[in-house]
Formats: sequence, structure tokens, C-alpha cells
Amino acid sequence: MQEIKDMVCPFCGCLCDDVTLEIDGDRIVSTDNCCTIGNAKFLGKHRLKNPIKKVNGKWVDITYDEAVDTAVDILLDADRPLLFGWSGTHGEAQCVGVHMNEILGGVIDSTTSVCHGPSILAIQEVGHPGCTLGQVKNRADLIIYWGCNPIEAHPRHMSRYTTYADGYFLDNAFRNRKVIVVDVRETETANVADEFIRIKPGGDYAVLSSLRAIIRGKGDMIPDSVAGVSRTQLMQVAEMCRTCSFGALFFGVGLTMAKGKYKNIRNAIELVDDLNRHTKFTLTPMRGHWNVYGANEVFSWMTGYPFAVDFCRGVAFYNPGETSAVDVLARKECDACMVIASDPGAHFPRACVEQMRDIPLIVIDPFQSLTTPLADLQIPAAVTGIDAEGTAYRMDGIPIKVKKAMDSDYPSDTEILTRIYDRMLEVKGL
Amino acid sequence: MKFILNTGRTIRQGKYIESKLGKGYAEETSRCQIHPLDLLELGVEEGENVLVKSEAGEVVLVAVADEGLPKGMVFVSYGIHCNSIISASTHGTGMPDYKIHEVEIVPTSEDRKTPVELLEQLGGLRYAGN
Ligand code: SF4
Repeated sequence: MQEIKDMVCPFCGCLCDDVTLEIDGDRIVSTDNCCTIGNAKFLGKHRLKNPIKKVNGKWVDITYDEAVDTAVDILLDADRPLLFGWSGTHGEAQCVGVHMNEILGGVIDSTTSVCHGPSILAIQEVGHPGCTLGQVKNRADLIIYWGCNPIEAHPRHMSRYTTYADGYFLDNAFRNRKVIVVDVRETETANVADEFIRIKPGGDYAVLSSLRAIIRGKGDMIPDSVAGVSRTQLMQVAEMCRTCSFGALFFGVGLTMAKGKYKNIRNAIELVDDLNRHTKFTLTPMRGHWNVYGANEVFSWMTGYPFAVDFCRGVAFYNPGETSAVDVLARKECDACMVIASDPGAHFPRACVEQMRDIPLIVIDPFQSLTTPLADLQIPAAVTGIDAEGTAYRMDGIPIKVKKAMDSDYPSDTEILTRIYDRMLEVKGL
Repeated sequence: MKFILNTGRTIRQGKYIESKLGKGYAEETSRCQIHPLDLLELGVEEGENVLVKSEAGEVVLVAVADEGLPKGMVFVSYGIHCNSIISASTHGTGMPDYKIHEVEIVPTSEDRKTPVELLEQLGGLRYAGN
């Protein structure tokens, strides 16, 4: 039995880097410091043993060489392939993906377009007043969780960085740090808040605007109730924000997926901007997948755009709503698809799932997912953080090296993609 | 009755993310959380099935009471069940309306399907090896 300390959990954007793993031979037998979700990820069983291919309506086992050839045939045969996913793999694999897409002239998109894509659109309009989670932990005396439910989605966020964490510059952080939760439903997180603001569905924009008006000294314009929130509560919350020493607003897909989409985020950023005339305030999106932020970084530095990048013109082009995965699939525009490190079969609207079913589909994933039944080929890869390593970016943009705990016979995502890419260049004579 | 559908992550759904073909995931993602007073109005007991319909499709879910929800809103965890009724329209943003979607809910005697059954219905094929 061997114990390895300071491992990184490859599940959510918290990217906890204090995990202890106990290993027996080639198996992780227990974890320490992980939340329930991270624990389940490390102890995950039933990986696919070898690549599989659908032949005449039946799955057959094939070798990695055959799998690479099949993938190359599918991709080079397509006029407009879509390369989707990327948030559950390391940055080095994402780099190969971008190179591959340039050769193919396809669309490359990450799960960003269906999580914080709208946040990025807002940031491109008005900037990002962000900071690291270390700053929040050590300085923030007011935390706002808006449209997110960290207890269920980022289970250690509150204990590592906010509510239950010690703060270097705070006396008795647990007592003195105030937490405001804003949501349309009373979640587990709402139950531990000092102040819970319940908003009527679709009312976020109006509530953000009201808080901005109060902060700007126009409180007398506010009606008795805004989207179900009383004027008294709005005044009280605005006062809490204005008088804190360091406020940190975290927001989730409750804002990005609701009516108004990126305009909600723009308003939230502008609220933070208004508050910075009185005190120090920052804003951080609660990024879901452990390396979705990395996908944005890699795509940005390689193509100039953070997600939904289209290379059909020979140069990078970006227009979310047109070049984003859901739209490309719903318009039945792509004629082949490669899904890596994500599961659109489970998470995309049915119209998109039907299109994935109707075109050649390659999946690169260690496990059978709900995209597998729709696929024509699946190639199992090593799991980053267990038997593969690479770079990931935490939700605050901090790059962290995700180490491996053991070796295995499975190739990493980078190795699989590099083999496909090299073969592609060979076939094209490049 | 008309409702607003809200979908999101739950800790149990997160836990089963790498065993999505199993029972736990199927159970978690086919629960329709709903305010107890709405259940009463629908004439449905907790644990009975409901048919949830939208312009994009329909799906059978099991009703689960949740007082944390406002009346008129139902919550379903992320998964293939809720996505069977979410429209692919993104209003030019790339993002479907995962959090606010109008649906109609009626009692039903039909059975719930597992995620794999839903995919098979669409023409998908499960890999039975390993
Ligand atoms: S909070 Fe996120 S990163 Fe941390 S252990 Fe849990 S799932 Fe892993």
C-alpha cells in the first residue's frame, strides 16, 4: 500500500490540490480530503478496455492502430467537422486539438459554450474585475453566490476558499465573513447563507440593476418589490456590499443560462465596477469542468478566440450563436464530429443528439458515456490525474500541474490526438 | 399545468458521472422536483410518474416533492431526461435555455425510461462488452 499526497482532483473548477491517495498495486483504494464527487472520480471503475468500432450495427473490439486510422478516415472525409469537448482534458491535448482543427478547417468548441460562454461574451464587452481564490480566502469579508449552488456543484469551494476557510487578514473568519446567496430556489447553499435573496425566475437583470441604482445613490427610484425581492432587502444588501472591506461575487450558470444570458453577466460586472468606487470588489465565474478555463486559455493564445472557433475560412473566425457547438449541430451543418472529454449525448438538447447520431461520430473517453451509444468509434484514454498528467487552469485562471498517480497501458489524450494528427499530416502529404 | 423547467447539477448526479449507464444515475436524472402544493394541484402523489412536455419533446419523470422550489417551477438534474425536452435554440448566444424553459406537466401511468433506453429509442447502440 502506497500513500501519495498533494494530488490534484480532476473534477471541478476548484481543482483541489491537497488530495491524498492510497494506492494498492494499480488501483486507487481510498482518497482523503476529496468531496463525494472527487472521491467517486478517483475510485471510478469499468473503464473501456480497448477501442471499439461500430460495424454493421454491432460493436467490435479493435486495436489502437485501427482506431487511429478510422478516426483519420472519418475526419479527412468530412467537409465541416466539429471537434467538441476539451474541458475534461489537459492543456497539452487541447493544443493538439487546435492544430488538428486548423488542418481540417472545422469548428472547435469546448463545453464553455454551454456553461460560461455568456460570461466570456460579457467580459469581452466590459472586462473582468477578477482575482485569485487565495486573495478571496485571505481577504474577503463578504461573499456573494449568485445563481450557483457550490454545496452540490463545487462541494469544497466554501471550505477551501470562502465560508469555512481561515483568512490570513481576517480575525475569526468563520464568524465575521458574511455570505449572501441569490437564487430562484432555496438550495442547500441558501440554507447556510447569512442573507438569502430569492428572485423570481428571469429577474436577475432587474435585481442587479436595482442594486446598481442604490449604490449610485438612486435608491428612491426603486419600487416596493423587484422580481420578488423587497425594496428593504435590496437596500440592506446594497449596504452590506458598500460597507464591506473586500467583497467577492461568485456566479454560476444560474445567470448564464437564464433569460438575458450574457447581459446578466455584463450587469453583474458593472455592479462590481460601481462597488469598486466605494470598496474593493471582485467577480469570478464558478467554472464547472476542471480544465474548462484551460480550454479558453489554450484556444485564446493559439487562435485569438476563447471557444467556438471556426477555421473554415482558413483563418480563425468566432461568432458564438453561429459557430458554437449546439448551433452547428442544430442547423445540421457539421458532417462529422469528434467528442473528447465531455458527454454531449447527456447534456445537449435532443435535436443536437439526433444530429450526432446521423453523422460519423468519434468519442475519446476512458468510460462509456451517454455519447457512446451514438458513436461509430470510441478510443479509451488514460485519466488525467490518475494515469496521465498535464496542465489545468483553476476557475480563477491559476495554472496547476495535474500529476499522475501511476502508469498504465492506456495512452493519454495527448498521445492519441498526436497519433491522429501525425497520420493526418502524412495522408495529406504535409 | 404549465411550469418553468430549471435544470442543474446535483451532488448525486456528479457522483455518478462516470457510471452513467448505471441505476444510480438513471434514478437521479429522471426525478422531477416540484413544490408540494403544485403536486396537490396536479393530483399526483410523490413517487408517481408525470409526463413533461415542451415544444421540443416529452419525457416521463418521477415526481419528488421539494419545498425549496417556488410554486410553478420544477427542477430536474442535468442529464438526458431533461435534455429530451429542451429546445436547441440559443438566441444567438450558443447557450440553450437550460434554466428557464416552459413545460406542460400531466399525470401519467407510463413508465420512466433509463438513459440507455432513451438513446436506444433514438437509434443508439450500447456497448455490452467489458
Ligand atoms: S471540490 Fe471539486 S476539485 Fe475539489 S475535491 Fe470536490 S470535485 Fe474535486
